[in-house]
Amino acid sequence: MSKHYWKSLAERDRDPAYVKSLADEFIEVPQLNDGDKSGVSRRSFLRAAGFAAAGGAFASCSPAPLKKAIPYLVQPEEITPGRAYWYASACGACTAGCGILTKNRDGRPIKLEGNPSHPLSKGGLCAVGQAAVLELYDSQRLKNPVSGGKESSWPVVDDAIRGQLERIKGSGGSVRFLTGSTGSLTARQLIAAFTASFADGKHVLYDALSASAILDAHEATHGARVLPRYLFDRADVIVSFDADFLGTWISPVEYTAGYAAKRALPALSHHTQIESCLSLTGSKADKRLRVAPSEIGLVLAHLANRLTEHDGLQALFTSLPPCPIDTADLNQIIDRLLSSRGKSLVVCGLNDVDAQYLINLINHALGNYGATIDVQHPSYQKQGNDKELYALIAQMESGKVDALFIHGVNPVYDLPDGARFAAALKKVGLVISFAERADETASLAHYICPDHHFLESWSDAEPVAGILTITQPAIRPLGATRSLAVCISAWMGFSRSDYELLRDAWRSSVFPRQTRETSYDAFWDKTVHDGHAAVDAVAVPVQAFRAESTPAVPTAKSANLALVLYPKVGLLDGRHAHNPWLQELPDPISKVTWDNYVNVSPALAQRLAVSDGDVLQVAAESVTIELPAHIQPGQHDSVISIALGYGRKGTDRFAKVGPQWLEGRPTVTDGGLVGKNAAPFRSFDGRSLQDWKPGVTVTKTGRRSELAATQTHHSLSVPERMRAANPEPRPMVQEATLAAYLKNPAAGAVHTEESATLWPGDHKYTGARWGMAIDLSACTGCGACVVGCQAENNVPVVGKDEVRRRREMHWIRIDRYYADRGEGDVDVVFQPMMCQQCGNAPCETVCPVLATVHSSEGLNQQVYNRCVGTRYCANNCPYKVRRFNWFDYPHEDRLQNMVLNPDVTIRSRGIMEKCTFCVQRIQEAKAEAKREGRTVKDGDVQPACAQSCPAKAIVFGNVNDPQSAVSRLKSDPRRYRVLAELNVDPSVGYMRVIRNREEEKE
Amino acid sequence: MNTRTITNLLLVGIALSILALLPKLSGFHLPGNQQDYQPAQPIAFSHRLHAGELSVQCLYCHSGAERSRHAGIPSTSVCMNCHRFVTTTFGAVRAEDELAQKEKRDPRRIVSPEIQKIYDAMALDASMNPDRSKSIKPVSWTRIHNLPDFVYFDHRRHVNVGVECQRCHGPVETMERVTQVTDLSMGFCVNCHRDATKNGLNGKTVSASIDCAGCHY
Repeated sequence: MSKHYWKSLAERDRDPAYVKSLADEFIEVPQLNDGDKSGVSRRSFLRAAGFAAAGGAFASCSPAPLKKAIPYLVQPEEITPGRAYWYASACGACTAGCGILTKNRDGRPIKLEGNPSHPLSKGGLCAVGQAAVLELYDSQRLKNPVSGGKESSWPVVDDAIRGQLERIKGSGGSVRFLTGSTGSLTARQLIAAFTASFADGKHVLYDALSASAILDAHEATHGARVLPRYLFDRADVIVSFDADFLGTWISPVEYTAGYAAKRALPALSHHTQIESCLSLTGSKADKRLRVAPSEIGLVLAHLANRLTEHDGLQALFTSLPPCPIDTADLNQIIDRLLSSRGKSLVVCGLNDVDAQYLINLINHALGNYGATIDVQHPSYQKQGNDKELYALIAQMESGKVDALFIHGVNPVYDLPDGARFAAALKKVGLVISFAERADETASLAHYICPDHHFLESWSDAEPVAGILTITQPAIRPLGATRSLAVCISAWMGFSRSDYELLRDAWRSSVFPRQTRETSYDAFWDKTVHDGHAAVDAVAVPVQAFRAESTPAVPTAKSANLALVLYPKVGLLDGRHAHNPWLQELPDPISKVTWDNYVNVSPALAQRLAVSDGDVLQVAAESVTIELPAHIQPGQHDSVISIALGYGRKGTDRFAKVGPQWLEGRPTVTDGGLVGKNAAPFRSFDGRSLQDWKPGVTVTKTGRRSELAATQTHHSLSVPERMRAANPEPRPMVQEATLAAYLKNPAAGAVHTEESATLWPGDHKYTGARWGMAIDLSACTGCGACVVGCQAENNVPVVGKDEVRRRREMHWIRIDRYYADRGEGDVDVVFQPMMCQQCGNAPCETVCPVLATVHSSEGLNQQVYNRCVGTRYCANNCPYKVRRFNWFDYPHEDRLQNMVLNPDVTIRSRGIMEKCTFCVQRIQEAKAEAKREGRTVKDGDVQPACAQSCPAKAIVFGNVNDPQSAVSRLKSDPRRYRVLAELNVDPSVGYMRVIRNREEEKE
Repeated sequence: MNTRTITNLLLVGIALSILALLPKLSGFHLPGNQQDYQPAQPIAFSHRLHAGELSVQCLYCHSGAERSRHAGIPSTSVCMNCHRFVTTTFGAVRAEDELAQKEKRDPRRIVSPEIQKIYDAMALDASMNPDRSKSIKPVSWTRIHNLPDFVYFDHRRHVNVGVECQRCHGPVETMERVTQVTDLSMGFCVNCHRDATKNGLNGKTVSASIDCAGCHY
């Protein structure tokens, strides 16, 4: 018998309401009592209907529209209308600095993809990076500089700022530059030159998602304030304390690529995750231990003690409280670590200097420095310094700062004491923000000098010492925005373009760091073409490890209930809150969209008598927040957690997102925001920003708020009336332990009877047959494929209310399954699910108008203009991957429409749609092959999902080509097909999950 | 009024309507079908002269057809490759030469009013230099060959296997003003695809797909 996997607690417990809802075609969305009303009255509906009828009548009388064709006057040499062009660049959506390729069609970037030759991201790109292109076309971005709250122009603003700066210079005043971690070498140099031109100038960096403690700890142990580069691709044993390195921690795409490289069978790295909330990384761990954040220091201390003992050294701590985790578990971790010295990696996501100091000690004792941790070539992805930030705030409060420049950060929003920062801002004579919109901080600035979107600007980045990337513009700036570098040059009195500034900076400080190219022009051209360059790292004054100070003895803090604040994969620190794609991306674990919420473990929920959707009031000291509860299996029983990044100013714009209809409810209520800001619960302990808080209280408010969670939507469950015949749950996901796999590669296979057929195959597939293989062991569920598909295939955003009604339109969803492991812990499996392109497709046989038919290459074609919307096909689809357009989803934002892919039809109301295996890319590859007089090679066609996958879990190709990667995987003993027993002959194979565990299954 | 009268009135009305519409019915097309469409263009460009008489290759101007899904309308700079020197018909130049000889003066520069439109679009003065006092204005051609909605057509796949342009566009080299000759309907496409797969194309065997997703996605 296989393990019982379930998608939600309601499904596991066969909750009657849930069972009933499975059979219901339409979801009754309960009326909410938090004041939300439907936006349309009967009267206005009738009025609109009347107008629509009249308008339709008039429109049908007009002749076919006259179409104009306007060619270029002088066509640029390299441009052919209708052809896409790709430019190498660097992603600026977070500080990780992944390499991207920008797809340009007719002068506008429409899709971002990972740059396969990039040494860090290796062709992957996360969901945030994929979605960044939409932000370029955000009509609410500032188009002009703002002075005193009013739109102004650059000459006016420049004159005013220059005048004030002269005065400050004359009086010997102080100037501070506050930025996020900027990988840009040019920007850093310019900021340094600018601040140096004042008697008292300084550049302060901080990150909302701070790693300041890691840098501080390295200052103590290695004599240099650096963030080392973690080499997951060299680690055989990984122990992670609360570090979500596959999801949100520092550089997830880079780490995912490295992690996946060490998870290639038959050798598997061993991954232990010690954490309080179920994270993306924890869900992939071979061993997961639930430990509250207050206890992590103690576990580390025990670990450090045992390791030093083992090496015959004096124990670090003489007396310690008992270890919060089982001795057996601790012994196992220690044995594993000791057996792979120099090949292990211990990381910690807590922004706590003491914990990080112990981590350094442990890694040093294990000989990991120089092996899996590189301090000689450190990472510049996080450079923030929390102490300097708070020193700056104190200076501002005492009126000692005359001018403050803020770039890339939003302290009023994301600091625990944003109000304090806002008050301190009032004491600064000149505040200049470079924000793209008047956000929480920028709206308090005297001037806003909006920076370009990264797709509009020349810039550079050095994410890791010695690896440089160039960001090149893919479109002219859409508004009169200006880059940070140009602003500084204008205020310093040598106005230059960002291209000139970048080129000059590289000529003087990057070109000399390499010897391969002798001509600067050749070096520059090659770098712009490739998107990255490897040069010598600037030497970091790292000293040998020294352990001078002994950290304070950690105590298991006896907090009743702790609150953990975590970033979500889509929204991170909230900088992408204006991106509807990311708002509607289901959280990889909770599958909730459009909201943050209080995660509560099932046991705690039972104790508090809380059910999903109950609005809870969480209070600590003077801070309170009211959010709906979400019951999260795998959560620590004395820890609740809330996502950061919500409640951003301006997100009330999403009130009208999605279709507006009679019973439709707005995504946010009047004047409300998407989610609530939990940053006030953060704290600064004098050394670093803490993302968890002990001693919180939770009370029920009695109100309810329905979360828009997709976890039970499109379930592949057996209908209740057919359950009697076969009560066994279907083995959607299959798994085995490494030990079992090594004995028998087909271990974990569930015997499924593939019915023999009397008839010869309907389809001959004489040419190609397209197929896909998905490695469930590699898939981390990060959601990059979901957003990649959305961007490629013009998938609309439907809004919170429609998601509640199971009407989200994503063509690829990631089914997340849980299985009980006992003691409240769960195993997690992610299963990307898209159209399986069945050979005997049930959808094809029921379409009365032949709108879905089989192609000669094995695709289930969906012909939009034939579809009449009977929805029979969706009902007959066992995988529930078909999506129906209940509405004409809004395309009124002309600017946002520029992101649409012209190679994919915009589907209108009443049409069924689904994954096409990116048939437009297949056709493009075939056309190009024909043009070059060859046949399509393996790898020519990469669907958007496969291309973007940071773990390279998805392989696509021609199954009829025996040399193709996908047909080699077809004979992999791990391969199985979901619901193969239905004899639908799906074209997608899944590779069984293999966990690095000893125990055999029962 | 009884029912009978009403019915009769209605019948008469329908009959009259049909009579009134009959002459137009010959021009009846399904939506999206623009067969016989022959709009006037902003410049009276003659394909008969250029493609027929002067034998300029189709791909000289419509160079995208080999590389892109769109054949493309040539940019004005392509016109200027020849029209930098050719400002009017050969006959008009010779007549002016003869007249000038007779009147014992230098021949004047003659520019045909249609070609002048190219120079205006590019804001060029009489000596073919950019005239800064004028602004450039791209030529806004009227699109003739419009496929029905929801279909993707790729020129490069057809041109690269040797489908003649005339197969779909008709004898453009004989047209003074271009008209859409074929109906470009799905039947038209599929018949040709079936035929090519069965009988080959230019003596070569080809497999022209009749999968829906070949064109509809």
